[in-house]
Amino acid sequence: MAIDKITTPAIADDAVTNAKVSYNNNQFRNIIINGDMSIAQRGTSFTGIGDGDSQYTLDRFKWAEEGSTDTAAYTISQSTTVPSGQGFAKSFKVDCTTADTSVDANNIQYVGTAIEGQNLQYLKYATSSAENMVLSFWVRSNKTGTYGVALINNESTERLYSQTYTISSADTWEKKTLSYVGDTSNGFDNDNGSSLLIQWYLVAGSGKTSGSSQTWGSNTQANRAAGQTVNLADSTSNEWYITGVQLEAGTTASDFEFLPHDVNENRCLRYCFVVGNTPTNGERNRYANVGTYYTATQFFSGVYYPVVMRATPSFTAVGSNTAQAFTIYSANAGKTSTAVGRDAISATNIGYVITTASAGQGDGGLGAWNVGYYGIIEAEL
Amino acid sequence: MIDTVKKDYNIITNEFCGYQVTYVNSNRVKSVPLAEDNTDYQAIQEWIADGGTVVDNPPE
Repeated sequence: MAIDKITTPAIADDAVTNAKVSYNNNQFRNIIINGDMSIAQRGTSFTGIGDGDSQYTLDRFKWAEEGSTDTAAYTISQSTTVPSGQGFAKSFKVDCTTADTSVDANNIQYVGTAIEGQNLQYLKYATSSAENMVLSFWVRSNKTGTYGVALINNESTERLYSQTYTISSADTWEKKTLSYVGDTSNGFDNDNGSSLLIQWYLVAGSGKTSGSSQTWGSNTQANRAAGQTVNLADSTSNEWYITGVQLEAGTTASDFEFLPHDVNENRCLRYCFVVGNTPTNGERNRYANVGTYYTATQFFSGVYYPVVMRATPSFTAVGSNTAQAFTIYSANAGKTSTAVGRDAISATNIGYVITTASAGQGDGGLGAWNVGYYGIIEAEL
Repeated sequence: MIDTVKKDYNIITNEFCGYQVTYVNSNRVKSVPLAEDNTDYQAIQEWIADGGTVVDNPPE
């Protein structure tokens, strides 16, 4: 409640309005997932990010570089530097580790996230009732100046709505709010595809900044970061932080919608599930890989995910020598794997094929991820 | 950035079941299913359309 004390003026002002009951009004109003940057299944620090990369780092947020070859490199991390008194514990940090003072005209580098079309239908795009939206976020950098940020309708006919924001004070958290008029002409497919992209540009060549955009229009490259003047890659002293990202229907930004940790994590698990001896979550399904030797040397095991994933995911085993990622315990013996692959995979479960030295065909067993090894199961957008 | 793509075959049925993908500046190998709504699969199709060559060593 906006008013929590019964006073004479409050009694006189007895009308119930949206503004007075705005706290917790319209739950799950934030279209962005993990906007408080609290979930980081893949790890908390990613070094050497740079040319040609398009890599998810903290859950639901990726760093990407597009265009011609670029020499800049960065460390992306989950930071505890946050705006004071706002309730946030984590932020997304970009730290330039290799500078590039000369940006090619076609180069663009950004932090981005993406939204499924089926989560956007209530915006009623492509109708005369298309909802306006507001994007709000906290941002900080030593590098003051004008930055670009864009919404991109990523359907077959791409649409772009770019704006700028200005960081006025160095090394100071600032809250930015940008308003977007609804698009009455182009909508979002009602499916699990990547329909809406939100991109915060940190480096943009002249071919990406020379245009203009303050409304929905075709995805002209010159409009993408129109008006941006900052080059975050021009010094290894540069860093940029963001947290409290919220995109919501309406014309005014509400307070950031903090979700319970388990709810936030479950929403992220639809897109990424890290299993084994994981970087940040201890042990996830590390010893859950029950199975049987289908042949004398091939152990088959299947596990379910905690939530149904967005699509049939990809699988990546991670570790110093991923062939040895598992130990299979069977018939009173433990055998280290010599090869690890996946068998059947779907949006609900994955099957591993783990090769070991000869064992008893038909024997049951338990596959355990070894220390330092984990798997990334991804159905990202 | 995709470095190499190799066809992946099911170990039991020998059927073509996906791709093994490596990326520039990474020693990780990603196993990508044949699923049109998987964005890694979509990226492979774009890479092929741009001239990338898929390695194919089918099981004998």
